[in-house]
Amino acid sequence: MLELYHWEPNTYFLKPLIALEEKEVSFLSRWFDPTSFEQLEPGFPVDTESRLQLEREGPLLVHDGTRVSGSFFMLEYIAEAFPGTELYPGDAFRHYRARAWGQVLAAIGADVSILGCARHLRPLLEQQDRRRLQSQLGRIEPVERRAAWEALLDGRYDARALSAIAERLAFSLRRIEGTLTGSRWLAGPDYSVADIDAFALIAPLPALAPEVLNATATPRIVEFLARMRERPAVRRALAYTRSGRPQQAFVPGAEPSRWG
Amino acid sequence: MLTLYHWEPNANSGKPMLALAEKGVEYESRYLDLLNFDQHQPEYLRINPDGTIPALVHGDRVLTESTPMMEYIDEQFDGPALRPKDAASRWRMRWWMRFFDAYLAPSLSMIGWSVFVGPAVRQRDQKELAAAIERIPLPSRRVAWRKAVFNEFTADELEESRRRVMFGIDVLEAHLTAHPWIAGESYSLGDINGFNLGYALPLSQPQHCNDALTPRIMEWLRRIYERPAARQTWAKGRTQLASRIGMLERR
Ligand SMILES: N[C@@H](CCC(=O)N[C@@H](CS)C(=O)NCC(=O)O)C(=O)O
Repeated sequence: MLELYHWEPNTYFLKPLIALEEKEVSFLSRWFDPTSFEQLEPGFPVDTESRLQLEREGPLLVHDGTRVSGSFFMLEYIAEAFPGTELYPGDAFRHYRARAWGQVLAAIGADVSILGCARHLRPLLEQQDRRRLQSQLGRIEPVERRAAWEALLDGRYDARALSAIAERLAFSLRRIEGTLTGSRWLAGPDYSVADIDAFALIAPLPALAPEVLNATATPRIVEFLARMRERPAVRRALAYTRSGRPQQAFVPGAEPSRWG
Repeated sequence: MLTLYHWEPNANSGKPMLALAEKGVEYESRYLDLLNFDQHQPEYLRINPDGTIPALVHGDRVLTESTPMMEYIDEQFDGPALRPKDAASRWRMRWWMRFFDAYLAPSLSMIGWSVFVGPAVRQRDQKELAAAIERIPLPSRRVAWRKAVFNEFTADELEESRRRVMFGIDVLEAHLTAHPWIAGESYSLGDINGFNLGYALPLSQPQHCNDALTPRIMEWLRRIYERPAARQTWAKGRTQLASRIGMLERR
């Protein structure tokens, strides 16, 4: 049995949806709303790895009892465990390149999550009754996972902090742009898990940080996003949306480097 | 032709060194002295423009991310398999390597840079140090060096790093109580990764990592230390950093 616990098809949640649709394997979609803290309810599957996973709230793949958390490793798992479309093509060096992108994109995902949460989640949290919210947040473990929610309410993500994050993103996006200037796909001549990873994480940026991702600054990335959207599997994955605005669905994700 | 640019068998440099030794693959070793900023010299930046170590050069292929580099080494070369065959154990290996790389390593290295790297270079000419820092290509590494050299770590961030290290030690002890190795039943890249991070924990965190409190971690470290590949790799160390491994000798 294969079940995917997920929310709106955006960022971390979007990755396994695309990979499973590419593989055309059937799975049970277990929808949960992390902004209502349904992931903390009894009955939601949990183990050490899912509780401590660095992307925090989601997604979770459960395959015959094995719980797979961490969205890039979930992509690798799906690529290796199921037949169908090859998501890890080529030789050892192409595989290396896809994994190296996974590392770079993990840092990008952390920054995108903060921009998205500041824009879309913070206003939702601010509308809620503060006492009730605090008591819900108090149930979140470990502490750094809770702190990522609380950080949205303590004023640290002011305009200046957010523009520093956008600048850091611009630096990483230039690398992606450079690679896509010589190649249609990130890890080599063929489509791979790296492209799924990149699309899921940066697709919200044209709306969140148009100053760093746009047709003038990053024309190849803009074309890449359009190319991804044409894939039937990507369309099917995006069609899981319930709100109709998946790219506004954010909860805290990985933590940016603590070194500054 | 295979060349590895590395520093001491420690942290990121030690990962490919130990993986290559386990596979029995010969390579040309190029030692860069991290404390002398060798990794920011123009000759090396031609190989890795980011100025970080390690870098593995295999023919015309250049690899600069140490964890994916280990998977490459396992996949590309003959020798004993260093990754489990089944997808679930592979996933577990990778999950733990990310936990090591992104949670435990930055905290341990923040402590290490504040007590070891910073003091080791701080006495040098201040102007030269400032110029050396200016030459660092990656903005994030520049911040790290500035903090280490000028002792700019805040008490809060060091305290948070110490808390995370202790938490990580507990989590690892529990994991090794449930499984003999990081990936589950067999020795893998996950153990190589964790060993590079943790081999000196009994020395740097003696009150949290010791035979009484964390017997599973101690036994795991000793089992890895006793492997011929680990002996061979740590013998390549040139400083006290690497010789700390001697404390894993059974008495
Ligand atoms: N993402 C790289 C990071 C490599 C890295 O930061 N290495 C450290 C040594 S462990 C380094 O090069 N430090 C030297 C510097 O920052 O100048 C990896 O995982 O291999």
